[in-house]
Amino acid sequence: MKKLLMVMALFLVALVTVGCSGKGPLTIWVGSESEAFYTQKMEEYKALYLEEKGEEFPHDIRVVGVDTGTAAGTFLDDSDAGADIFTAAHDNLGKLIAGASAVAPVQNQALLAQIQNDNPETFLQVIKGTVGGTEYTFAVPYVAQALVLYYNKQFITETQAQTWEGILEAAVANNKQALSLAGTDGFNNSFILLATEAETGNTSLRLYENGIQENTYGTGDDTIAKLKWGQYFFTHANGARRPSDSGWEVELKNEISIAFIGGAWHFSAAKAALGDDLAITILPTFELIDGYGEVEAGTVFQSGTFADTKAFFMKKNSRYAEYLEDILLFLTSKDVQEESFVAAQNLPAYKNAADEFAAFQENTLEAKLAAAQVRMFEFGIPQPFGFQTRYNTYYYSKGTPDLILEILENNGGNFGTDAQILAQMQIVETIWKTGNRPA
Amino acid sequence: MEQKIEKEDKKSGFLTRLLTFFKTLGLTIKTRCLKFYNRFKEGSTGTKLSHVIMGSGNIYHKQYLKGFVYLILQVGFFALFIISPEVNGTPLGLKSIVNFFTLGTEPGDIFNPADNSMLMLLFGVIVFGLIGMFLAAYNSNIKSSLKADNDIKAGKKPTSLKEDIASLLDERFHVALLTPAIIGIITFTVLPTIFMILIAFTNFDSEHQGQVLFNWVGFANFLDIFSGTGEISVRFLPVLSWTLIWAFFATSTNYIGGILLAILINKKGVKLKKMWRTIFILTIALPQFISLLAMRNLLSTYGPINSTLMSLGLTDAPIQFLANAANPWTARITIIVINIWIGVPYTMLMTSGILMNVPSELYEAAQIDGATKRQAFFNITIPYILFITTPYLITSFIGNITSFNVIYLLTGGAPGVPGYKAGETDLLVTWLYKLTIDESEYNIGSVIAIITFIITATATLLSYRRSKAYKEEDAFQ
Repeated sequence: MKKLLMVMALFLVALVTVGCSGKGPLTIWVGSESEAFYTQKMEEYKALYLEEKGEEFPHDIRVVGVDTGTAAGTFLDDSDAGADIFTAAHDNLGKLIAGASAVAPVQNQALLAQIQNDNPETFLQVIKGTVGGTEYTFAVPYVAQALVLYYNKQFITETQAQTWEGILEAAVANNKQALSLAGTDGFNNSFILLATEAETGNTSLRLYENGIQENTYGTGDDTIAKLKWGQYFFTHANGARRPSDSGWEVELKNEISIAFIGGAWHFSAAKAALGDDLAITILPTFELIDGYGEVEAGTVFQSGTFADTKAFFMKKNSRYAEYLEDILLFLTSKDVQEESFVAAQNLPAYKNAADEFAAFQENTLEAKLAAAQVRMFEFGIPQPFGFQTRYNTYYYSKGTPDLILEILENNGGNFGTDAQILAQMQIVETIWKTGNRPA
Repeated sequence: MEQKIEKEDKKSGFLTRLLTFFKTLGLTIKTRCLKFYNRFKEGSTGTKLSHVIMGSGNIYHKQYLKGFVYLILQVGFFALFIISPEVNGTPLGLKSIVNFFTLGTEPGDIFNPADNSMLMLLFGVIVFGLIGMFLAAYNSNIKSSLKADNDIKAGKKPTSLKEDIASLLDERFHVALLTPAIIGIITFTVLPTIFMILIAFTNFDSEHQGQVLFNWVGFANFLDIFSGTGEISVRFLPVLSWTLIWAFFATSTNYIGGILLAILINKKGVKLKKMWRTIFILTIALPQFISLLAMRNLLSTYGPINSTLMSLGLTDAPIQFLANAANPWTARITIIVINIWIGVPYTMLMTSGILMNVPSELYEAAQIDGATKRQAFFNITIPYILFITTPYLITSFIGNITSFNVIYLLTGGAPGVPGYKAGETDLLVTWLYKLTIDESEYNIGSVIAIITFIITATATLLSYRRSKAYKEEDAFQ
């Protein structure tokens, strides 16, 4: 009898499992900071739908705030249970379209035209991917992001903030730490690694150029020269430091450090830490003290950044597929992007935002943040990892950021010579290309 | 020479045991097959029929309700297998068995989904579980019919379903109570555990997610521990070593500290015993993660402790208690010390209870025999505490091997090891978390989980079976 009961209960479990595949509301994942804004926008969308079609939108819509940094991974863990529309940084494209693609391509001509007309050329390249030999557009950009410099204007003047030398001078004068970083990953070292020669805008650094794994080069003369300067900056008594376990907010607030490199998502915390002393500008330049190879001492470099876009993706085979593109047409329209900037400080992906959006012209910190980001787009590249699922892993997860940090910190004098720096970068380059350390 | 003989004895002993095992196994299978055959041969027509159509034996014996329940089960089971209903696009039924072995063959295209390898693996496990349950029900159906045969032969009336239910609520009430628990264990523990173990034999990682199929790879993930230049091969032994060191010190310091504290508080002459106990118990009253986060903030590089030390002129620069890359032992020792603060009250509380319950006649007998207080302490109190707390000690050691909170909340594994995810204070379990949650390396995570299980299970079995608490179970009764 007990076995009978066991079997009956197991069948019950199986039935419940089958029953779980019920129909839920149309779900949209957005960044937590924008949940309220997009919830309100979807109410407006429903009202517009009623006005245009003469009938109520036929389904419930639920907007959920999520961590956009992990949204793509969460979606892939169980895409059937994932949102119908979700937000992720463009560099997740590779893993989202791997195999037969977990996301649907954009096919609506009006939406494709809006993407084409409203977004900068750099974004158009990184939202496309190839599945089954055909290239499709998979994402709809709506937020842009680049790193900027947050600094304490009590210690650093506007002029000093234009160069790392000026910031270092201010740090020495006040016996402070020049710079705090938010993390040790490949995003945070980009201000050195992606720096370009100020006069020409050139760099020999190549990261998966045109989506090709082999088109990766991190051992050029200028790269080594930049890292040598980085080592000087990180080993200086008042220079930059890896993030402490207290966190960059504490370091800024307690005036341990006087500047911080961060994105728009750090704005609220930076403002809370520095209050009225907070100032924002583009990342500074630096001048090489030592040359390397054909790159001479005195060469000036402009700090670089990854200039990315957050985009909306659509779930493949969503049961609401017929509605999704129309919703995205609305959510990524110029007007909604402008409102999103005002309400949630989301830097629009709209290419002419700096000229056309009234909020950009105001004399507010938010406007300065936006303006600084827009300018940083001139010195940045979108993260080139969306072409293949493995690129992101190779760049961020196989330990190369730590190996670069080892060069910068030069602990134990292990990277005191040019040859040692070059050897370490050869390891880094191999990992970028293959995912493995050289044998 | 003696050692050689001992070794050879051990070897031949092992071989004999192995042979006996297979012999017993063969005999058991033979006996079962014979029993099955005889049951069929000697059973009534109804019993014979129940071998093909479930419930027919009961129906034959006019136990209609019971018979129909069995019949419905069989029909339901075969219906599920033949129809193979799709759940999230993946069939659950007979096709699941094939899918379990292939883990999917359809790569999909831009408009059509690929096979879902993960669901196929999961459904395969579920279906094998269902088959097991069905076989149990099938056997139960034959036994039920055979019991009715025997009842009739004995001149009794076969029991009805109503009588069976009444029996379940009376003399077989333990069966009624245990059945839901067993179902729960199978559904929520056994099947997920099997699923997790099987993942270790696949290439389910960050590159095989979403619409990419994954496959069986045999023992490749386990072999990666011993070869290659990847994280698993380079960091496995250091992390395992630190895990064992941590578990040893975290357990022993808490255990010894707790006992000493309890003895001290319970010592005659100590005033305000309740107050002292309450003070120490306060750390238990607070949620552990709050205590840990508070400690992390206090000890952080620019936290209050460093500020105080610097303002008092005791140090020139902040001490990196939890993230000193130059010397990982700073963080390790700090963690062990914080763990003492968190863990000692538990042992103290438990030991206090034990101390209050040491049979007084033991001390009286010792006193009559002329034992000093010191002798009574070392020959009665300490052995008694050790005897009672051995299972706790073992559980505590195992708990510390898988102690996630302390490490994750205090250091997050820092200080880091350049180039690798596993930091200097990462335990196997926090490393596993990083690999699976941050990196989606489910296969490697599963390998680590299996190894952790083997270590904890072996440590538990060996230490408990050698303990007095196990060997002399009745010693203090």
